[in-house]
Amino acid sequence: MDVNQYLEIFLDETKEHLESLNAQILNLEQTPDDADTINEIFRAAHSLKGMAGTMGYKRMQALTHDMENVFSEIRNGSIKVNSNMIDTLFQCLDALEEYTNNIQASADEGTNDNQALINQLNEYLNGGGAQEAPLKAAEKEAAPADAEAAKWKEISFGEHEKHVFSEAKKEGKQVYGMDIRVQETCILKAARAFLVYKAVEEKAEIVVCNPSAQDIEDEKFDLEFSLIVISENPLDQIIAAAKNVSEIESVTGGVVDIDTSEAAAAETEAEVEAEETRPAAVAAQTTGAPAKQAEKKSGKPVVNRTVRVDIEKLDVLMNLVSELIIAKNSLVSASSTEIGAGSGVNEHIEYLESVTTNLHESVMKVRMVPIESVVNKFPRMIRDLSKKLNKKMELYMSGEETELDRTVVDEIGDPLMHLLRNSADHGLESAEVRAQRGKPAVGSIFLDAYQDGNNVVIEVRDDGNGIDVEAVKAKAIERGVITPEQGDSMSEKDIINLLFHAGFSTAKQISDVSGRGVGLDVVKSKIESLSGDVEVKSKLGEGSTWIIRLPLTLAIIQALMVIVGGEKYAISLGSIQTIEDISPSDIKLVQNSEVIHLRGTVIPIIRLNKELDIESSKSPDENMVVVIVKKGEKLAGLVVDELIGQQEIVIKSLGKYISKCKIISGATILGDGEVALILDANALI
Amino acid sequence: MEQLKVAEMNEINEVMNETIQYIVIKLGDEQYGIDIKYIDNIVRMQHITRVPKVANYLKGVINLRGEVIPVMSIRLKMDLPADEITKSTRIIILKLEQHGTIGIIVDEVKEVVTLSTAEIEKVAYDGQEGKINFINGIGKHNDELISLLDLNVVAMEK
Repeated sequence: MDVNQYLEIFLDETKEHLESLNAQILNLEQTPDDADTINEIFRAAHSLKGMAGTMGYKRMQALTHDMENVFSEIRNGSIKVNSNMIDTLFQCLDALEEYTNNIQASADEGTNDNQALINQLNEYLNGGGAQEAPLKAAEKEAAPADAEAAKWKEISFGEHEKHVFSEAKKEGKQVYGMDIRVQETCILKAARAFLVYKAVEEKAEIVVCNPSAQDIEDEKFDLEFSLIVISENPLDQIIAAAKNVSEIESVTGGVVDIDTSEAAAAETEAEVEAEETRPAAVAAQTTGAPAKQAEKKSGKPVVNRTVRVDIEKLDVLMNLVSELIIAKNSLVSASSTEIGAGSGVNEHIEYLESVTTNLHESVMKVRMVPIESVVNKFPRMIRDLSKKLNKKMELYMSGEETELDRTVVDEIGDPLMHLLRNSADHGLESAEVRAQRGKPAVGSIFLDAYQDGNNVVIEVRDDGNGIDVEAVKAKAIERGVITPEQGDSMSEKDIINLLFHAGFSTAKQISDVSGRGVGLDVVKSKIESLSGDVEVKSKLGEGSTWIIRLPLTLAIIQALMVIVGGEKYAISLGSIQTIEDISPSDIKLVQNSEVIHLRGTVIPIIRLNKELDIESSKSPDENMVVVIVKKGEKLAGLVVDELIGQQEIVIKSLGKYISKCKIISGATILGDGEVALILDANALI
Repeated sequence: MEQLKVAEMNEINEVMNETIQYIVIKLGDEQYGIDIKYIDNIVRMQHITRVPKVANYLKGVINLRGEVIPVMSIRLKMDLPADEITKSTRIIILKLEQHGTIGIIVDEVKEVVTLSTAEIEKVAYDGQEGKINFINGIGKHNDELISLLDLNVVAMEK
């Protein structure tokens, strides 16, 4: 048992607190007098401080401590919220986030003291006057618990402890008893207790623990537990350390009078208990240190990626698994009863099929998380941008609860941020232009997410200038992306799509918001790597809309199974346009490459057997099966030997060991246990 | 002085007595040992799905209880004659920190031996140019020699 065990909880909670702080501070700026908001902020900051402290992250603790002071002054009404202060507080949150990221990567908070921020915070405080008052008030709240009988006094000691106590006395140390009470709402009592244990251990030596450390670890205690400790530190320091742990309701204590407890007679039971406790504590100390070192060495993040799952979703899964077992059992019994064999089996197989399909869907749902976690940081970003660009703007979001696969949600943040920045910087006009055009002074940016069939659509919309097609064309010609002749023959849509071309930026001035020529092409490639696509609709003078379309899940696709030279391959149905039966005589040569002329379009032909280095099993004069696939506007015909049919397949990675092969995007396991490779039509075109 | 020596001797003995278990496999006529801690599984030869456009020693992928695992021919990797698939051919599934899970094809799996460090002779790199040394030691067991494979070298991409 060591602190690392709680690292995950710590990181999770810290992130939650930071998120809520971000949201609440934004709120605070809008409604500076709202008591609920400030209380919420105060609570979050206080928990953060306590958690950082117990985990031993001193810098993080120091920074949150000063933030908390500012919040408590605001709560008391002795300082007023102003925009500068909000800026500083946001910077503090950024700094805290940095600490958190460091901790996640290496279990260490890093070395940045953020002294400048702390100084700034203290300036606000000094401007506001009285400082220490609120903290004391908080302590007073906890005090009444004293009224209850001190539980630690009930602990009796054996010979061994008495000996230890008298030794300690000789060394000038004191023996204290403490009662710790955790809040009733606390979920992880054992973890909290351990953190208290750990915090106290730093200040003192724990001799007796009631109930035993083992019981506490197993959560075999009510809300209270007692400790007998030996320390040279004053009692209030130890109590303060214990109180720093969040969700602890109260900590009380006093000096143990050894003589009286001696009189209380030695009960053997207590002795046994104490014997158990001590080795456990020692073991915790010794194992803690090397584990931490080992983790520091490896460069990997110390915490695994997790998904928080709604218990209901797990219940559904559980039910399906039990149904699966029933289905299996009925199959077994059907196969063992000879009579009527054949008729019953089909029925059972159908049942089994419906169970597996449902199971499938439910597991996918477990992987789904709302995009909330990503989009929640955007209001804050727009606020910062608004200041930086000196434009008034407001972000309106809808559909934050829309769910996407966890892997997609993790990746979608950056592209969305790019698009929002783009809208803020290039899209929205300056205040003067807006006034001239008769638009409201405050620009609006919309972020809407919704589900559309098997896709999730995220739209970023602004009521700004829209895309100036002529300007884009001129720029593209100037950059040499297209020739003037090409420009004349291109449709408006094609020209707008040039924005996604690498190295293209229409911003006249390079600002640090956007306009470095990386951006839209990165957005496009990122979204394409997630098997999605992005398009733009724009009207000059009225605004533009960026539409991102993403598949609900990445792990399962509908695919067409084909045979090439005796091997089975899968092609994603999403990229297939049509399937044609072509006679070899229809193939024409254009610039030495094979094409077919199909309903008015010329389509290049790719012979898959050549791409896959295998002999085709068909003779050259037979009719060919050509699968027409598309990538964007481009089409290509893939020549295959045979079609098997459509199938739902689960995508498995080939692993990094075989990653060189570009045209294979993964593998899948077929019904007979064989592995089939998935062809990446995009890479072939 | 005397005491110090005894302590030193004990320490040396301790090092000497450290034992490692190896699985002995056959490639052609030679016996090789694979450290058992890297072995995840040993499975019978099964259909391997070819992956196009990869190095010749990568034979393809197999399905191991729902996971897709790459399989390589250690013979081709070591420039030995190609595998002859017989009844005793096995695929050994290795779990390596650096390279993940990989299967290697061996002619036969013989036995498990326990070698103490005293029975292992380190081989120095022989310095022949252009030749990769796949072996990091030779073990002696019952008058037989077992070449101990350096799995990280075996798995390394050429």
